[in-house]
Amino acid sequence: MNAVSTGEQVAFWILGSLAVIGALGMVLARNAVHSALWLVVTMLNLGFFYVINSAPFLGFVQIIVYTGAIMMLFLFVLMLVGRDASDSLIETLRGQRIAAIVLGIGFAALIGTGLARALGSTFTVGLDKANANGNVEGLASLLFTKYVFAFEVTSALLITAAVGAMILAHVEKAKEDKRDQVTRMKERFRPGNYPGPKPGPGIYANTMSVAAPARLPDGNGAERSISPILPVRELSQAEAAPKGTEK
Amino acid sequence: MEQLKLPPIDYGALLPMLILFGAACLGVLVEVVVPRRARNAVQLSLALLSVVASLVAVVLERGTRTITIGGAVAVDGPTLFLQGSILVLGGVSLMLIGERSIERGGVFVSQAAVTAGSQKDAQQAGGQPGATEVYPLSVFALGGMLLFVAANDLLTMFVALEVFSLPLYLLCALARRRRLLSQEAALKYFLLGSYASAFFLFGVAFIYGFAGGIQLSVVHEAVANPQRSQVLLYVGLGMVAIGLLFKAALAPFHVWTPDVYQGAPTPVTAFMAACTKVAAFGALLRVLYVAFEGVRWDFQPVLGGIAVLTMFVGAVLAVTQTDLKRLLAYSSIANAGYLMVGVLALNDEGLSSTMFYLVAYGFSVLAAFAIISLVRDPDGEATHLSKWAGIGRKSPLLAGIFTFILLAFAGIPLTSGFTSKFAVFGAAVEGGQTWLVIFGVITSMLLAFPYLRVVVLMWLSEPGESTPAVSIPGFLTSAVLGLGVLVTVALGVVPAPLIDLTREAAQFVR
Repeated sequence: MNAVSTGEQVAFWILGSLAVIGALGMVLARNAVHSALWLVVTMLNLGFFYVINSAPFLGFVQIIVYTGAIMMLFLFVLMLVGRDASDSLIETLRGQRIAAIVLGIGFAALIGTGLARALGSTFTVGLDKANANGNVEGLASLLFTKYVFAFEVTSALLITAAVGAMILAHVEKAKEDKRDQVTRMKERFRPGNYPGPKPGPGIYANTMSVAAPARLPDGNGAERSISPILPVRELSQAEAAPKGTEK
Repeated sequence: MEQLKLPPIDYGALLPMLILFGAACLGVLVEVVVPRRARNAVQLSLALLSVVASLVAVVLERGTRTITIGGAVAVDGPTLFLQGSILVLGGVSLMLIGERSIERGGVFVSQAAVTAGSQKDAQQAGGQPGATEVYPLSVFALGGMLLFVAANDLLTMFVALEVFSLPLYLLCALARRRRLLSQEAALKYFLLGSYASAFFLFGVAFIYGFAGGIQLSVVHEAVANPQRSQVLLYVGLGMVAIGLLFKAALAPFHVWTPDVYQGAPTPVTAFMAACTKVAAFGALLRVLYVAFEGVRWDFQPVLGGIAVLTMFVGAVLAVTQTDLKRLLAYSSIANAGYLMVGVLALNDEGLSSTMFYLVAYGFSVLAAFAIISLVRDPDGEATHLSKWAGIGRKSPLLAGIFTFILLAFAGIPLTSGFTSKFAVFGAAVEGGQTWLVIFGVITSMLLAFPYLRVVVLMWLSEPGESTPAVSIPGFLTSAVLGLGVLVTVALGVVPAPLIDLTREAAQFVR
């Protein structure tokens, strides 16, 4: 049984405030990159907490794996996707944001007061025993004895994650898609193929719809000017009518 | 420092899970080695074979009552029964997943990474063979479910929860038609699911703080003889329950269900409705009966309120649905409420009747979704209710089967729906929860209305121009349909053998 020392208390209040500020910053920052960097602050502070609480291994894993590797991956992905993409702030459900804030604060208060009431007079128990053989050794003996099955089954989770990432992100290229420049050039100038760029659709020129074809000189629509993935539909009167060019 | 020694491991007891995990890893390798043309057949047979082998292992271990591998896994009557039912239902779902003859290439998308709606997507929707990764993913999910109902400590339970959830999130995103809807469903399920998992984990931390351990027997002792403030216990129990209730789709943690059931490919929906339900309720039973039995008077009214709310939400909102998959989703929510009534009986009768209900409901729901996969128009499955008008005139056999399944859901005598509801309500009365039974009976009558509306729509309206054609089921779907109907009848007429089996199995080890 050991009480909390003054040094630990001082460290807790400083690091704890920083961690909360980081978490708030992560939620409130508009820019995704700033969000990620705020999250780094929170994670670093959590790492320090673990070290202070006699779990040095966990602390270093937190800093090296989470803050180091995973957050850098985050940033990588953000940079690839484009950091300009920002969230739309329009609420789809009215009053959702207010309700979420109220409920969130209420839940935090509930958990906070519950914990304070429950643990206000509790002292640490069994810490020295757990770290008797050294922190890493203690962790290892738990992982490879008591929780060995959970540890092994985690591999199934990792395999699933890898397979899932492949399924959702990898496009296989069919053999016929892999053509060199010469074949493509020959195909382009083969008789029957029009080698020039396709005409744009009739939008702006005479109607308001991209589904309206451009006009050929004889007045017919140019079918090649419409993208084939557009669903075919009847144009409304207003869409099909020629656009007045003079005021 | 002393040498680390592995705890004693009863490999026989773990064999069902080890077979499935091994087969799933093998399935991932098959993706690499076997040429594309043969892949579907090889993967399907491998998956079915592994499920059968695993089932044989479960049957061989039927007498085992043990806690093994360092207290992480408990193999006892409920575990073996639930594992067996997950495997049987999972095998049947795999047949639905493996069906390739109703639509060219099957219901799964060929390459999920192709942008939905692009030109390439239009090409692959036309008939490129569906992704075969779905088989190893389903087998991983099944393995996770087997562990979920067997987990004897909360950490193992959490890992199992993730192991079976992650493949399900992925499977939801792989529909061939209406891909945006399917991807939206997967994303919703993933986000809400991880949120619920976080609650579960936070709750485990509280329980650890209260009991000083996370093995269910340790928690049981601590509950009987508390050393620390009970606030920790209640908060922890609440959060662990939120995680489990989410998977079981009880109100107010049900909001994901209709969207996900509608968006996911129909075989996956069937898989979730049948197997996930068994797994989630299996774990809920174990946690409540083994670990928290000592505070039953505290959680019974709260969970009872949740059960009543669930039954009402499911029954009332099912009335307003216009999409058949959504209707079945709400019906599955209401059924989760009835299952909860059985769970809250908190006696052996409650345990056995809940297990009976899970099996009976699983088979009926598999048959129902098998029929939905057959009614198609050019855009894929025609799930809107208006499309089903007059389908009884066009294909009486299929409409007849569907009517029978719907009547079973409604709980008409001589179907499994009646016997299973009778069993859980009887157990609840015996357990002193008559108020739940009253609400259960009221909502059952309410819930009969949407089912009967579909029946009336199918038989009494004239078929119109847009009434879709009914595809001729392939061998696999026919087998699923036959099995589903057969079991629904059998459990309605001669339920005794299965009831005896559940009674024999209804004893947890601690």
